[in-house]
Amino acid sequence: MEQSVQENQHSSLLAPLFEHIDLDRRLTVLNIGPALPETVSFFSQYRCRLYFEDLFNELPTLYRQHKEPEDEMAAKQQFIESMRFPDETYFDLCLFWDLFNFLDREVLSAVLEVLQPHLHSDSRAHGFAVHSLRTEQSGKIFGIKSADQISMRSRGAKLPGYNPYNRGQLEKLLTCFSVTRSVLLPSSRLEFLLTARL
Amino acid sequence: MIGPSIKITGEVSGDEDLLIQGKVEGTVNLKNNEVVVGESGQVAADILGKNVKVDGKVTGDITGTESVVISKQGNVRGNLVAPRVLLEDGAVFNGSIDMNPTEAGGKSAAKEPAPFPAQENKAPRLDVKSG
Repeated sequence: MEQSVQENQHSSLLAPLFEHIDLDRRLTVLNIGPALPETVSFFSQYRCRLYFEDLFNELPTLYRQHKEPEDEMAAKQQFIESMRFPDETYFDLCLFWDLFNFLDREVLSAVLEVLQPHLHSDSRAHGFAVHSLRTEQSGKIFGIKSADQISMRSRGAKLPGYNPYNRGQLEKLLTCFSVTRSVLLPSSRLEFLLTARL
Repeated sequence: MIGPSIKITGEVSGDEDLLIQGKVEGTVNLKNNEVVVGESGQVAADILGKNVKVDGKVTGDITGTESVVISKQGNVRGNLVAPRVLLEDGAVFNGSIDMNPTEAGGKSAAKEPAPFPAQENKAPRLDVKSG
Protein backbone atom coordinates (compact mmCIF):
# COMPACT_ATOMS: atom_id res chain seq x y z
CA MET A 1 0.00 0.00 0.00
CA GLU A 2 1.72 3.15 -1.18
CA GLN A 3 0.63 6.01 1.05
CA SER A 4 -0.01 9.41 -0.43
CA VAL A 5 1.57 12.79 0.11
CA GLN A 6 1.54 13.95 3.70
CA GLU A 7 0.01 17.24 4.82
CA ASN A 8 0.28 18.59 8.34
CA GLN A 9 -2.33 20.44 10.34
CA HIS A 10 -1.82 22.32 13.58
CA SER A 11 -3.66 20.83 16.54
CA SER A 12 -4.20 22.74 19.75
CA LEU A 13 -5.52 19.57 21.44
CA LEU A 14 -2.45 17.35 21.15
CA ALA A 15 -0.55 19.29 23.81
CA PRO A 16 -3.30 18.90 26.46
CA LEU A 17 -3.56 15.25 25.45
CA PHE A 18 0.09 14.75 26.37
CA GLU A 19 0.47 17.15 29.26
CA HIS A 20 -0.47 14.67 32.00
CA ILE A 21 1.98 12.04 30.78
CA ASP A 22 4.36 10.71 33.42
CA LEU A 23 7.62 10.04 31.59
CA ASP A 24 8.90 7.90 34.44
CA ARG A 25 6.39 5.27 33.36
CA ARG A 26 6.22 3.37 30.11
CA LEU A 27 3.55 4.96 27.99
CA THR A 28 0.89 2.71 26.44
CA VAL A 29 -0.82 4.07 23.36
CA LEU A 30 -3.62 2.73 21.18
CA ASN A 31 -3.77 4.03 17.62
CA ILE A 32 -6.98 3.02 15.88
CA GLY A 33 -5.93 3.30 12.29
CA PRO A 34 -3.09 2.45 9.98
CA ALA A 35 0.46 2.67 11.26
CA LEU A 36 2.05 5.72 9.69
CA PRO A 37 5.82 6.26 9.70
CA GLU A 38 5.54 9.67 11.34
CA THR A 39 3.46 8.32 14.24
CA VAL A 40 6.04 5.60 14.91
CA SER A 41 8.82 8.12 14.60
CA PHE A 42 7.13 10.54 17.01
CA PHE A 43 6.58 7.94 19.72
CA SER A 44 10.02 6.42 19.21
CA GLN A 45 11.42 9.25 21.35
CA TYR A 46 9.59 7.80 24.33
CA ARG A 47 9.66 4.61 26.29
CA CYS A 48 6.36 3.25 25.13
CA ARG A 49 4.27 0.45 23.77
CA LEU A 50 2.29 1.47 20.76
CA TYR A 51 -0.68 -0.63 19.60
CA PHE A 52 -1.93 -0.26 16.05
CA GLU A 53 -5.37 -1.65 15.26
CA ASP A 54 -6.56 -0.57 11.84
CA LEU A 55 -10.30 -0.93 12.33
CA PHE A 56 -10.88 1.29 9.28
CA ASN A 57 -9.53 -1.58 7.22
CA GLU A 58 -12.29 -3.82 8.61
CA LEU A 59 -15.15 -1.46 7.66
CA PRO A 60 -15.72 -2.82 4.13
CA THR A 61 -16.24 -6.29 5.62
CA LEU A 62 -18.44 -4.94 8.40
CA TYR A 63 -20.73 -3.10 6.01
CA ARG A 64 -20.79 -5.60 3.16
CA GLN A 65 -24.34 -6.37 2.00
CA HIS A 66 -25.37 -9.40 4.02
CA LYS A 67 -28.09 -11.74 2.80
CA GLU A 68 -29.00 -13.04 6.25
CA PRO A 69 -29.25 -11.21 9.58
CA GLU A 70 -26.95 -13.87 11.07
CA ASP A 71 -24.26 -12.90 8.55
CA GLU A 72 -24.55 -9.29 9.65
CA MET A 73 -24.23 -10.34 13.28
CA ALA A 74 -21.20 -12.47 12.45
CA ALA A 75 -19.57 -9.51 10.64
CA LYS A 76 -20.11 -7.30 13.69
CA GLN A 77 -18.71 -9.99 15.95
CA GLN A 78 -15.66 -10.37 13.73
CA PHE A 79 -15.13 -6.61 13.77
CA ILE A 80 -15.21 -6.49 17.55
CA GLU A 81 -12.99 -9.54 17.91
CA SER A 82 -10.33 -7.91 15.76
CA MET A 83 -9.81 -5.65 18.74
CA ARG A 84 -8.47 -7.84 21.54
CA PHE A 85 -5.69 -6.75 23.85
CA PRO A 86 -3.63 -8.67 26.37
CA ASP A 87 -4.89 -8.70 29.95
CA GLU A 88 -3.30 -6.07 32.16
CA THR A 89 -2.95 -3.68 29.22
CA TYR A 90 -4.04 -0.18 30.19
CA PHE A 91 -3.98 2.59 27.62
CA ASP A 92 -2.74 6.02 28.64
CA LEU A 93 -3.69 7.46 25.27
CA CYS A 94 -6.22 6.34 22.67
CA LEU A 95 -6.10 7.88 19.20
CA PHE A 96 -9.47 7.21 17.61
CA TRP A 97 -9.14 9.72 14.75
CA ASP A 98 -12.51 9.76 12.91
CA LEU A 99 -13.49 6.15 13.64
CA PHE A 100 -16.70 6.96 15.50
CA ASN A 101 -18.12 8.56 12.34
CA PHE A 102 -18.19 5.12 10.75
CA LEU A 103 -19.73 3.06 13.54
CA ASP A 104 -23.44 2.61 14.16
CA ARG A 105 -24.57 2.91 17.75
CA GLU A 106 -24.53 -0.84 18.38
CA VAL A 107 -20.99 -1.33 17.09
CA LEU A 108 -19.74 1.81 18.83
CA SER A 109 -21.15 0.55 22.10
CA ALA A 110 -19.49 -2.85 21.59
CA VAL A 111 -16.14 -1.22 20.79
CA LEU A 112 -16.30 0.77 24.02
CA GLU A 113 -17.22 -2.36 25.95
CA VAL A 114 -14.05 -4.07 24.69
CA LEU A 115 -11.97 -1.00 25.46
CA GLN A 116 -13.27 -0.13 28.91
CA PRO A 117 -11.32 -2.82 30.83
CA HIS A 118 -8.17 -1.42 29.27
CA LEU A 119 -8.66 2.15 30.48
CA HIS A 120 -7.58 3.71 33.75
CA SER A 121 -8.90 6.79 35.46
CA ASP A 122 -6.27 9.02 33.83
CA SER A 123 -6.65 7.66 30.28
CA ARG A 124 -7.06 10.32 27.61
CA ALA A 125 -8.23 10.08 24.03
CA HIS A 126 -8.39 12.11 20.88
CA GLY A 127 -10.76 12.00 17.94
CA PHE A 128 -12.76 13.81 15.29
CA ALA A 129 -16.50 14.30 14.97
CA VAL A 130 -18.51 16.84 13.00
CA HIS A 131 -20.21 20.07 13.87
CA SER A 132 -22.83 19.68 11.15
CA LEU A 133 -24.21 16.24 10.36
CA ARG A 134 -24.10 17.15 6.67
CA THR A 135 -20.29 17.27 6.76
CA GLU A 136 -18.77 14.90 4.22
CA GLN A 137 -16.19 12.32 5.23
CA SER A 138 -12.68 13.70 5.25
CA GLY A 139 -11.17 10.89 3.19
CA LYS A 140 -7.99 11.18 5.25
CA ILE A 141 -5.87 8.91 7.34
CA PHE A 142 -4.23 10.53 10.32
CA GLY A 143 -1.02 10.36 12.29
CA ILE A 144 1.08 12.43 14.66
CA LYS A 145 3.84 14.50 13.14
CA SER A 146 4.82 16.38 16.29
CA ALA A 147 3.38 17.37 19.65
CA ASP A 148 1.25 20.02 17.97
CA GLN A 149 0.84 18.74 14.44
CA ILE A 150 -1.40 16.06 13.00
CA SER A 151 -0.37 14.51 9.72
CA MET A 152 -2.96 13.70 7.09
CA ARG A 153 -2.80 11.59 3.97
CA SER A 154 -5.49 10.90 1.41
CA ARG A 155 -7.25 7.60 2.00
CA GLY A 156 -8.12 7.10 -1.65
CA ALA A 157 -11.48 5.35 -1.82
CA LYS A 158 -14.27 6.50 0.49
CA LEU A 159 -15.14 4.17 3.34
CA PRO A 160 -18.57 2.60 3.85
CA GLY A 161 -20.75 3.21 6.88
CA TYR A 162 -20.21 6.96 7.18
CA ASN A 163 -22.83 8.28 9.58
CA PRO A 164 -21.20 11.03 11.63
CA TYR A 165 -22.05 12.19 15.12
CA ASN A 166 -21.92 15.69 16.53
CA ARG A 167 -20.58 16.51 19.97
CA GLY A 168 -23.93 16.22 21.74
CA GLN A 169 -24.59 12.77 20.29
CA LEU A 170 -21.11 11.57 21.10
CA GLU A 171 -21.36 12.76 24.68
CA LYS A 172 -24.34 10.45 25.14
CA LEU A 173 -22.77 7.52 23.28
CA LEU A 174 -19.28 7.57 24.76
CA THR A 175 -20.17 5.88 28.01
CA CYS A 176 -16.60 5.50 29.26
CA PHE A 177 -15.31 8.91 28.18
CA SER A 178 -16.19 12.54 28.81
CA VAL A 179 -15.61 15.14 26.13
CA THR A 180 -13.39 17.63 27.91
CA ARG A 181 -12.64 19.95 25.04
CA SER A 182 -13.46 20.38 21.40
CA VAL A 183 -12.26 22.66 18.67
CA LEU A 184 -14.08 23.56 15.49
CA LEU A 185 -11.95 22.93 12.41
CA PRO A 186 -12.40 24.00 8.81
CA SER A 187 -15.04 22.08 6.84
CA SER A 188 -17.24 21.90 9.94
CA ARG A 189 -15.18 19.10 11.47
CA LEU A 190 -14.71 18.90 15.19
CA GLU A 191 -11.55 17.80 16.97
CA PHE A 192 -12.11 16.60 20.52
CA LEU A 193 -10.26 15.54 23.62
CA LEU A 194 -11.67 12.83 25.90
CA THR A 195 -10.97 11.81 29.47
CA ALA A 196 -11.86 8.39 30.80
CA ARG A 197 -15.04 8.21 32.85
CA LEU A 198 -14.93 4.94 34.77
CA MET B 1 19.63 -17.47 1.77
CA ILE B 2 16.35 -19.34 1.76
CA GLY B 3 15.29 -19.27 -1.89
CA PRO B 4 11.83 -18.52 -3.20
CA SER B 5 10.93 -22.17 -3.79
CA ILE B 6 12.09 -23.35 -0.35
CA LYS B 7 9.69 -23.99 2.52
CA ILE B 8 11.03 -24.61 6.02
CA THR B 9 8.99 -25.72 8.99
CA GLY B 10 10.75 -25.63 12.36
CA GLU B 11 13.57 -23.62 13.90
CA VAL B 12 16.05 -21.70 11.81
CA SER B 13 19.16 -20.80 13.80
CA GLY B 14 22.84 -20.21 13.16
CA ASP B 15 25.60 -17.68 13.14
CA GLU B 16 25.33 -15.85 9.84
CA ASP B 17 23.13 -13.29 8.17
CA LEU B 18 19.99 -14.60 6.48
CA LEU B 19 17.84 -13.54 3.54
CA ILE B 20 14.46 -15.28 3.41
CA GLN B 21 12.81 -15.29 -0.02
CA GLY B 22 10.81 -18.48 0.58
CA LYS B 23 8.41 -19.65 3.26
CA VAL B 24 9.30 -20.24 6.90
CA GLU B 25 6.99 -21.51 9.62
CA GLY B 26 8.29 -21.90 13.17
CA THR B 27 11.00 -19.70 14.63
CA VAL B 28 13.99 -17.78 13.31
CA ASN B 29 16.69 -17.33 15.92
CA LEU B 30 19.71 -15.35 14.74
CA LYS B 31 20.29 -13.05 17.67
CA ASN B 32 23.65 -11.72 16.53
CA ASN B 33 22.90 -11.45 12.84
CA GLU B 34 20.97 -9.54 10.22
CA VAL B 35 17.69 -11.06 9.08
CA VAL B 36 15.99 -9.84 5.91
CA VAL B 37 12.61 -11.12 4.81
CA GLY B 38 12.77 -10.47 1.08
CA GLU B 39 9.93 -9.31 -1.13
CA SER B 40 8.83 -12.86 -1.91
CA GLY B 41 9.42 -14.05 1.66
CA GLN B 42 6.47 -15.31 3.69
CA VAL B 43 7.20 -15.95 7.33
CA ALA B 44 4.78 -17.29 9.91
CA ALA B 45 7.25 -17.33 12.76
CA ASP B 46 8.70 -15.33 15.59
CA ILE B 47 11.97 -13.74 14.48
CA LEU B 48 14.92 -12.82 16.69
CA GLY B 49 17.79 -10.97 15.06
CA LYS B 50 20.17 -8.07 15.59
CA ASN B 51 18.76 -5.98 12.76
CA VAL B 52 15.62 -7.28 11.12
CA LYS B 53 14.27 -5.89 7.84
CA VAL B 54 10.95 -6.91 6.35
CA ASP B 55 10.29 -6.41 2.64
CA GLY B 56 7.83 -9.33 2.49
CA LYS B 57 5.13 -10.70 4.75
CA VAL B 58 5.51 -11.72 8.39
CA THR B 59 2.93 -13.04 10.81
CA GLY B 60 4.60 -13.32 14.17
CA ASP B 61 6.56 -11.37 16.74
CA ILE B 62 9.83 -9.72 15.74
CA THR B 63 12.60 -8.83 18.17
CA GLY B 64 15.54 -6.81 16.95
CA THR B 65 18.31 -6.32 19.50
CA GLU B 66 19.28 -3.20 17.52
CA SER B 67 16.51 -2.37 15.06
CA VAL B 68 13.47 -3.48 13.11
CA VAL B 69 12.65 -1.91 9.75
CA ILE B 70 9.45 -2.54 7.79
CA SER B 71 9.98 -1.36 4.24
CA LYS B 72 7.35 0.08 1.92
CA GLN B 73 6.51 -3.38 0.54
CA GLY B 74 6.52 -4.97 4.01
CA ASN B 75 3.43 -6.35 5.71
CA VAL B 76 3.64 -7.41 9.36
CA ARG B 77 1.04 -8.65 11.82
CA GLY B 78 2.57 -9.19 15.23
CA ASN B 79 4.45 -7.47 17.99
CA LEU B 80 7.74 -5.68 17.50
CA VAL B 81 10.36 -5.20 20.19
CA ALA B 82 13.44 -3.14 19.39
CA PRO B 83 15.26 -0.04 20.58
CA ARG B 84 14.70 1.46 17.13
CA VAL B 85 11.73 0.75 14.88
CA LEU B 86 11.32 2.30 11.45
CA LEU B 87 8.28 2.06 9.20
CA GLU B 88 8.75 3.22 5.65
CA ASP B 89 5.98 4.93 3.72
CA GLY B 90 3.55 2.29 2.52
CA ALA B 91 4.46 -0.34 5.11
CA VAL B 92 1.48 -2.22 6.54
CA PHE B 93 1.61 -3.04 10.23
CA ASN B 94 -0.91 -4.30 12.74
CA GLY B 95 0.13 -5.14 16.26
CA SER B 96 2.17 -3.50 18.97
CA ILE B 97 5.58 -1.86 19.02
CA ASP B 98 7.62 -1.88 22.20
CA MET B 99 10.16 0.91 22.01
CA ASN B 100 12.83 1.90 24.44
CA PRO B 101 15.00 4.62 22.95
CA THR B 102 17.33 4.61 25.96
CA GLU B 103 18.57 1.19 24.80
CA ALA B 104 19.36 2.38 21.30
CA GLY B 105 23.07 2.49 20.61
CA GLY B 106 23.90 0.93 23.94
CA LYS B 107 23.75 2.29 27.45
CA SER B 108 26.32 4.99 26.74
CA ALA B 109 23.93 6.61 24.31
CA ALA B 110 21.09 6.48 26.78
CA LYS B 111 19.35 9.75 27.43
CA GLU B 112 16.18 10.85 29.09
CA PRO B 113 13.16 10.92 26.81
CA ALA B 114 12.22 14.36 25.55
CA PRO B 115 9.45 15.91 27.62
CA PHE B 116 6.17 16.47 25.88
CA PRO B 117 6.06 20.18 25.24
CA ALA B 118 3.74 22.26 27.32
CA GLN B 119 0.66 23.52 25.59
CA GLU B 120 1.43 26.49 23.40
CA ASN B 121 -0.18 29.70 24.44
CA LYS B 122 -2.00 29.85 21.15
CA ALA B 123 -5.76 30.38 21.08
CA PRO B 124 -7.71 27.69 19.21
CA ARG B 125 -9.87 28.79 16.31
CA LEU B 126 -12.99 28.24 18.38
CA ASP B 127 -13.76 26.25 21.46
CA VAL B 128 -17.21 24.79 21.03
CA LYS B 129 -19.07 24.48 24.29
CA SER B 130 -21.90 22.32 23.07
CA GLY B 131 -22.91 20.24 20.06
